[in-house]
Amino acid sequence: MTGRSVLRAARFGAGALGWLAAGTAQAAATEPLRAPSALDGHPLAQVLVLLGCVFLLAAAVGLVRFPDVYTRLHAATKLVTLGGVGIFAGAAIAFHPVDGTPRVLLIAAFFFLTAPLSGYMIARSAYLRGLPWHQEAGSVDDWQALGSEAESSLEER
Amino acid sequence: MVIDIAVVSLAISGVLATYRVLRGPTWGDRVTAFDYLTVNLAVMVVVAALRTGFTPLLDAALIISILGFLSTVALARYLLRGRVMR
Repeated sequence: MTGRSVLRAARFGAGALGWLAAGTAQAAATEPLRAPSALDGHPLAQVLVLLGCVFLLAAAVGLVRFPDVYTRLHAATKLVTLGGVGIFAGAAIAFHPVDGTPRVLLIAAFFFLTAPLSGYMIARSAYLRGLPWHQEAGSVDDWQALGSEAESSLEER
Repeated sequence: MVIDIAVVSLAISGVLATYRVLRGPTWGDRVTAFDYLTVNLAVMVVVAALRTGFTPLLDAALIISILGFLSTVALARYLLRGRVMR
């Protein structure tokens, strides 16, 4: 390999490096490839959406980790109500200049009314059908006397 | 950034609830996780509307939440009495 070819290769490498550096500098100067979302520029809406997602994720973890139907209902109704209303409130704030806010508030109101009702229906049918629950050692069942009454009145309704 | 975190956490919670639907020892666990999945789907549609700015998706989210509530109530009544309505 002669000295001239080495020199030419070094010059070519320097040119390529300079071209790459110029390209990356130009790419950094322009906007990154990312579409704008409705949440941009609304910090309160961002905080509300993040809180709602944290509560929904906690509800899912409780749905997996809790031992029986009733504790899983406890996780999947209260936390879901809080998280969903948080996300809907964030969306209502983020959609405020355009026409999205009344519909999001309608969804939030409907959701706030129906989520405890569906949880109540599931818990009622589970208890009246006698699904087993997790009992630790030394726990007392306060509802045992009421359970037989509920079972006897199941045929009437 | 925030909306990406929201999408990923909603997807993870959907996967966890689907595990409870498939695995659940009793039907109560499955109905509970199904109710959670419908709520999660409605919230996902609202987050998609936030991401794209396409507000007609909110009507779809309202319909999904109504259908989820009605199907949960119908499932609970059916599993309690063996019929939905008399």
